[in-house]
Amino acid sequence: MAHQLEKRVLLEHAEDPALRTLDGYRRLAGGYATQERAYKEMEQDEVLKELEDSGLRGRGGAGFSMGKKASFLPRGDMAKYLCCNADESEPGAFKDRELMQRNPHQLIEGIAIAALAADAGHAFIFIRGEYAEQADILDRAVAEAYEAGYLGTDILGAHRDLELVVHRGAGAYICGEETALLDALEGKRGNPRLKPPFPAVQGLYGGPTLINNVETLSNVPHIVRHGAAWFRGFGTEQSPGTKVVSVSGGVRRPGNYEVELGLPTRELICDLAGGPEPGHEIKAFFPGGSSSPVLTAEEGLDLPYSFEAMAEAGSMLGSGSIIVADDRVSIPHLALRTARFYHHESCGKCAPCREGTNWTVKMLERMVRGEATPLDLDIVSSVQQNIIGHCLCVLGDSMAMPVGAMVRKFREEFEEAMEDPNLVLDPHAVVQAPPETLGAST
Amino acid sequence: MSPAGREVTITIDGREVAAIEGEMLHDAARKGDVEIPVFCYEPKLGDPVGACRMCLVEIEGIPKLQTSCSTPVREGMVVHTRTEQVKHAQNAVVEFLLVNHPLDCPVCDKGGECPLQDISYGWGPGKSRVIDEKRHFEKPIELSPLVAIDRERCILCYRCVRFSQEISEDSQLQLLDRGDRTYVGTFDDRPYVAPFHGNITDICPVGALTSYTYRFRARPWDIEHAGSVCTLCPSQCNVSFTVRDEKVKRVVTRDNAEVDDGWLCDRGRYGFEMFDAPERVRGPRLKGGTEVSWDDAIAKAADGLRAAADSSPTQVGPNSDTASRVAAIVGDASNEEGFLVQRIVREALDSPHIDSRPSRGPGADVLRRLAEPSISAKVRDIDEADAILVLGTDPLHSSPILDLRVRKAIRRNGAKLVVATERPTALDGGAQAVFRYAPHGATSFLMGLAGALRNGDTEVPESDVADVLRNAESVVVLWGERIGREDHATVKALLDVAATLGLADKDGGLLEIPDTANARGLREAGCLPDAGPGLSETTAGLSTEEIRSALISGELTGLILFGADPLRDFPDTPAWEEALTAADFVVSFSMHENATTAKADVVLPLETHAEKDGTVTHPDGRLQRVRPSAGRPGDIRPNVLVLSQLAENLGLVTGIDSQPTAFAALTQAVSFYNGIEDSDIGGRGIRWQDTPAADNVPGSGRPSVPGSPDTEPEAHPHISEAGDAPRRAASADPGTDGLHALTLGTYRDLWAGPITELNPPLKFLTPQQRVEISPADAERLGLKTGDRVRVSQDDSVVEAQVQIKERVPAGVVFMAEGLLDGNANALLNGGPVQVSIEKLSEVGA
Repeated sequence: MAHQLEKRVLLEHAEDPALRTLDGYRRLAGGYATQERAYKEMEQDEVLKELEDSGLRGRGGAGFSMGKKASFLPRGDMAKYLCCNADESEPGAFKDRELMQRNPHQLIEGIAIAALAADAGHAFIFIRGEYAEQADILDRAVAEAYEAGYLGTDILGAHRDLELVVHRGAGAYICGEETALLDALEGKRGNPRLKPPFPAVQGLYGGPTLINNVETLSNVPHIVRHGAAWFRGFGTEQSPGTKVVSVSGGVRRPGNYEVELGLPTRELICDLAGGPEPGHEIKAFFPGGSSSPVLTAEEGLDLPYSFEAMAEAGSMLGSGSIIVADDRVSIPHLALRTARFYHHESCGKCAPCREGTNWTVKMLERMVRGEATPLDLDIVSSVQQNIIGHCLCVLGDSMAMPVGAMVRKFREEFEEAMEDPNLVLDPHAVVQAPPETLGAST
Repeated sequence: MSPAGREVTITIDGREVAAIEGEMLHDAARKGDVEIPVFCYEPKLGDPVGACRMCLVEIEGIPKLQTSCSTPVREGMVVHTRTEQVKHAQNAVVEFLLVNHPLDCPVCDKGGECPLQDISYGWGPGKSRVIDEKRHFEKPIELSPLVAIDRERCILCYRCVRFSQEISEDSQLQLLDRGDRTYVGTFDDRPYVAPFHGNITDICPVGALTSYTYRFRARPWDIEHAGSVCTLCPSQCNVSFTVRDEKVKRVVTRDNAEVDDGWLCDRGRYGFEMFDAPERVRGPRLKGGTEVSWDDAIAKAADGLRAAADSSPTQVGPNSDTASRVAAIVGDASNEEGFLVQRIVREALDSPHIDSRPSRGPGADVLRRLAEPSISAKVRDIDEADAILVLGTDPLHSSPILDLRVRKAIRRNGAKLVVATERPTALDGGAQAVFRYAPHGATSFLMGLAGALRNGDTEVPESDVADVLRNAESVVVLWGERIGREDHATVKALLDVAATLGLADKDGGLLEIPDTANARGLREAGCLPDAGPGLSETTAGLSTEEIRSALISGELTGLILFGADPLRDFPDTPAWEEALTAADFVVSFSMHENATTAKADVVLPLETHAEKDGTVTHPDGRLQRVRPSAGRPGDIRPNVLVLSQLAENLGLVTGIDSQPTAFAALTQAVSFYNGIEDSDIGGRGIRWQDTPAADNVPGSGRPSVPGSPDTEPEAHPHISEAGDAPRRAASADPGTDGLHALTLGTYRDLWAGPITELNPPLKFLTPQQRVEISPADAERLGLKTGDRVRVSQDDSVVEAQVQIKERVPAGVVFMAEGLLDGNANALLNGGPVQVSIEKLSEVGA
């Protein structure tokens, strides 16, 4: 049972294990009917128009219009590709895992319809290696879809072919960056490529390539089934639709909640996710995964949870993953922990990210050991500024923005930590392990 | 190449700069005299990677800074490279690059010539804020026996790795681990051994990659750079010698896109210690090693040669019918030296017998047609070719830098490559079609190819090659001189293919890869038995092989060897032994002591390409200048003056007393060099085909009609077999008593020759004689890789180790020429050779 604040579209019937099977998907969710209609009755441009009109924004982090991106692919006879980015590796993000685990066919149908929009004959799901269980589920679902004729050659007698391959990553966060994903898929070292050329023009094996996130593609069958106007009935003008939000950290009911975009953030964190444990208060939260600049409770809790509101507040909605830090959390440790993650995952290709993440970690380590001065704090801030906007891809910024925000907004706490490391709060009181089940009322 | 090519105007820092649409902003800025600092970008490495972030600039209309190395220029672009925002970024990037850099400039070999140092001074913040411990690696360690790597100094610019993966395509260098733990290395820490790997020390923008041969040898303020040309192979790469105290300490590239594309092979780079090797001939001497004065040596040489020449009973005189009994063979020499030697032979000794080829080759009529500018390709044509045919040569071994050029054409321009050779080549992997003919099978291949091209026949084995060539707009044929050893019809057959392809009317053409470094220049200077300077008509003399026979028979008694070592480099070593022993008088000009100098009556020292002043002619017709860069050790004199003095002693006053007078005499004598001045050659050389004198090619303008009697080679018998099988494969009859006849093919390995013996750092590369054999023959003969065998042909025997190779066709074995031990030249006799193989011992036994 979903909470009344939830609006389940992608997660409808999610509790029913039968949804994972082709039969269950067809029975419970009317699955593959939309693909059949699209393949038999719709032209590429009709599907594209529906997607563009819906205003669906990418759910992987950047929030770029999915329909517009698909329309960038050149037309012609060259081989075109579709890649589903299922390399969900951002700390705090676990919504794609849920979507793939509970409703793999929704994703497959979305890929099949998006492939029509992109005129792609080959599609790949690049899934992070650690998602072994979800990859197994997808493998089974893909096999079922081939068996039932929703994938393969001459699909549904509509003279369209689509090969879909589930490819397991080898455990590098950078491979979630779309061009690094392409290199990894091609068997190379997973490093980001220079853009331009953008993948839509020159992507996988040099061919035009549409890359979308799992959740984005999972929305596609619903939009094509019910129409763009229906989709725009949810959310805000600039952030239409629903969003599966992963809430974790200092809340009583961490988990995934599908809500209309624009829901007050306080309701998401406090009503759906249960808010902080009794006796504690929210100090700050990442609104869009560990790469989004933290917002203090005062800044952020009363904002609508939408792309535009978060951007206006100097942060971002990103992949829609909220990590809550309550008053037990040491911000210097949180900053260090965040920086360590990006330092560990930096591919090393460009200098600002490679050296900036490593230098930042070293400085923050000194801080929490009490071996730093306020001058170092200025250097940390300045180094973050030196990283932002100077890197080859967004990984460097992904550390610099949240760490920079933490130093800026919680400078006093850093200074206290430098003064006396014994005053520092418990470094481990930060994040709970992501839950195994849907949050809220389940 | 950018398809656009339109001229546009952009504004950089308020100044208008003309640029080509689509070129990278960094390049356009440099042409407009605006320096944008950068580390990773190097146009000769191909596409930009944008890794170092040093070249960020502000472009109006784009909110974020952009890397100028990867931003194509557009009309009207307004760029700022000195704003506060850009300066902030530049300071930031330099600071980041130095976070983990040890700043050990005072003990670093790169100090003083280090881009990181320069850019840190020019664009860095000037002081460090880093107090944390830096990254540590074990250092320095051997990346290869020739290159040391210091991973702490490395700024991970990707240049060396890109070189390995995208230029030499050996793919041995990789980036390992990730983030700030990333390091450059090889799989399993194996040594990086590849023929071009020294280039990574040139392109490294820091002191991370240094040559063991130069580490701690000099500081930039101790040295001078001297631009010259490497004449260790026909590639004639442009180099710069690093000279300290008159001695060469290092060889680096001197970019010339028309010749070498800015790369240099390891032979040219590391082959310099031989300039001062103990084996160097440092002064004139007589047989047995007696040192003599120059005057005495030249007088002795003149006397000996005159005696030999005059021993003929017939009339002697200029341009008369002569039976002079002296001959000359020129090997490694400049144009001027070759020109003088042929004057001495023809004018002072009245002998027509001079050659510059290791065995034999096409006649002067064919050479004149090959010189026709319309069918000649230049090196740069390879870049633009639609199709490339590599015929009878493996560029990696015969002209290494062209191997890189062909790879580049395929990788960047999508050129289609076809390979037709006896022996598998390093380029086979990138070829659309590979045709393997049996040794001495080039002629029948070419005839088959011409037929397939004319008839569109799809059934013949040559049709795969023909299909690629037929539809190409531009074709470059890289052909090895050694196909001409086969017989007189071979190169005619090549000309017939050229005519059938219509090469005269297409871009590209024929580009020969000769056996010796300045073969073209020497032929054009007149070192041919049937042509004088400028391929002019002349009294016919004997060719190299005929000279050898005439020495043995006693028809010839005197011999001048100039930079030639027949006992090592020429086919049929036993016959040469006999010839040199039979000769009454031998003068050998040589850089180093060798088996041939030991048999000479007078030995005169030669200058190396670091000491010599002279010109050479690239196989594509480019005259290049070899400049004296280092001091001559011992009592070595300029070769040109020595030759001039020898001529005078023989009664021939040449008027040549310096390089300029020698060059003037040469350009006057060679009709198609007429009017070329030293200043035309400059630092980059000039193709004579691009000068007005090109019209003076004798026989130029003769129409080439495919299949005409003029071009039709003589009928050539061949056995046709289906598929890829060699067309003239030897019969595979097993013999008796463990003796089995196989056709022998020989090749010249890149590292064969004295280079590895005279340069101690290269010793580890000395090739061992291996007999390459097909799996089928090996199985039939009960041989395994590593077995020791005795390979024999008549009385000649060479020992070798068995190496089974999948790509060797059945019925054929391959062995290397020019090795110190087990030289395959000993087995050759000028014709197709059958050898038998006898097992000596098993591997591991």
